[in-house]
Amino acid sequence: MSLLDIKGLTIHYVTRDNTVKAVNGINLSIGESSTLGLVGETGAGKTTTALGILRLVPDPPGKIISGEIFFEGKDMLKAGDNDLRKIRGNEISMIFQDPMTALNPIIRVGDQIAEVIELHQNCTKAEAMVKSLKMLETVGIQPERSVEYPHQFSGGMKQRVVIAMALACNPKLLIADEPTTALDVTIQAQVLEMMNDLKKEFKTSMLLITHDLGIVAETCDEVAIMYAGEIVEYGLLEHIFRNAKHPYTIGLFGSIPSLDKDVDRLSPIQGLMPDPADLPSGCKFHERCNHVCDDCKTTLPDYTEIEPGHFVRCPRAVKGEI
Amino acid sequence: MGELVRVEHLKKYFSTPGGMLHAVDDVTFTINEGETLGVVGESGCGKSTLGRVVLKLLEPTGGRISFEGKDITDISENDSLELRKQMQIIFQDPYSSLNPRLCVSELIADPLKVFKLYNKADRQKKVYELMDLVGLARRFAFSYPHELDGGRRQRIGVARALSLSPKFIVCDEPVSALDVSIQAQILNLLQDLQQQQGLTYIFVTHDLSVVKHISTDILVMYIGVMVEKSPSKELFNKPLHPYTKGLLSAIPVPSIDHEKRQVELMGELSSPIEPKDECRFLARCQYATDQCRSQAPTYDEVMPNHFVSCHNVRQINGL
Repeated sequence: MSLLDIKGLTIHYVTRDNTVKAVNGINLSIGESSTLGLVGETGAGKTTTALGILRLVPDPPGKIISGEIFFEGKDMLKAGDNDLRKIRGNEISMIFQDPMTALNPIIRVGDQIAEVIELHQNCTKAEAMVKSLKMLETVGIQPERSVEYPHQFSGGMKQRVVIAMALACNPKLLIADEPTTALDVTIQAQVLEMMNDLKKEFKTSMLLITHDLGIVAETCDEVAIMYAGEIVEYGLLEHIFRNAKHPYTIGLFGSIPSLDKDVDRLSPIQGLMPDPADLPSGCKFHERCNHVCDDCKTTLPDYTEIEPGHFVRCPRAVKGEI
Repeated sequence: MGELVRVEHLKKYFSTPGGMLHAVDDVTFTINEGETLGVVGESGCGKSTLGRVVLKLLEPTGGRISFEGKDITDISENDSLELRKQMQIIFQDPYSSLNPRLCVSELIADPLKVFKLYNKADRQKKVYELMDLVGLARRFAFSYPHELDGGRRQRIGVARALSLSPKFIVCDEPVSALDVSIQAQILNLLQDLQQQQGLTYIFVTHDLSVVKHISTDILVMYIGVMVEKSPSKELFNKPLHPYTKGLLSAIPVPSIDHEKRQVELMGELSSPIEPKDECRFLARCQYATDQCRSQAPTYDEVMPNHFVSCHNVRQINGL
């Protein structure tokens, strides 16, 4: 059985004026010590999915309309506040995109890490502090710096502190929401390598949210491509990188300027992502798709398995027409 | 084609409580008409400051800038206003660089108004022409920036920069705030405009794959100094400076056939405040020698048209 199982999850933000359909019936599962990359553009619903797993979607306006989330067989949607508090930061923890806002500016970093440990691990303040120093060392920060405040650290170092905090209770699942987007490439490379090492050491499963296919290629075992709140393609790394079938996935690859090959002109996806408050009928991608047929405009395509473990939501791709 | 921009020993220092911050230190380059110079580096390396000093949006601390063969370093404010018609900038953040209280057509007409060009009716016509040029549908003419997405907002920025028919545009990270699919649209637009109008660009970015795609030459900066400059392809095929090598190896490659990279660059950028007379890359360099500690390297032409500032570049690369 997988560690995390999401079935038909639908999350909407209901406001007085309209309903933003952020996540629309997605299925995901993450196995023990494996990493799933969730890829998509701004507004695709990636972060809402992550918040949904931790039941952190702000309500109002956010509502989990339907679906099931099973974590180690427990139904997260039926868990009470007390149960959730025991899971968050302990069994599932999260790394946010912006390390500048994820840390409390007026608490020393050592104390911030110790707080999580003290809360979840039935130990004294002193013991928690010892563990906190050890965690700082694990992420490559000298323990002496534990008495410093977040503003005394650089961006990359702050993200290391956040990672130390997330891993402090040895979680089974780590949700990393664009963990390196705010960092420079050389620092990003350092942080990614460290995350990969720690993931192996702690045998943590990871849900990595990103828009960078390069990072996915380096870190993930499986990939889910998300578009307008739906998963349009899902498969192992090889499926997506060697045998991408959905026109959106193919378009994403075409949009990235390549370092290895010389391309005179990029082939971007035409048009823009639809407004999630006003999604088109049928396939959400049909307005931007070069392979659109009449059916696409009216009926939502099925999520079909085209080879073991490789799912695509596009009827023409299933028929091998793309 | 002739030389359009020449920059010699350009310096820009900022005064801070800790001493002088050397944002740009002794930068020299030329750009030919119709070409693109890509300027790459990590945050804080001085690349945006460089773009602004070249446009004289910031006063240089030292060095000379010439444009079309004319020295513009010390020109008066009035003359520099004239110069603005020739040199424009596209900003990084299409969210903060547009006045939220002006609609699209007012925003694009603004530079034309400043220079009192055209009468009202012609101005509106020109605005529509510009909107067509950058691919903004005319129905957005009376929308406000907050009603538009990032890609469309950046198109407004491009239209504003083009409105005075400049020869030279500094693009300061014009696509880094955008999603990849939109990023590709804007990059294609900038390339098309360059071909149609013979524009010359300085393209400032931290994204090496973007810069490779669009540049003729690439200049790599590190804490205010130039570390390497060469034709675009050559920089990627044969990087010579240890920093450039590290930078290239740090980019995640979207392919699973690519060999796993080793992290070559440890540590972080050192401080640009009152730097000592030593190589600025010293702290992160695995090849550092005593000479690097006692003296800043000079910027030499190591191979034809390929400049590097590193004492040990010949030994490292076996040249």
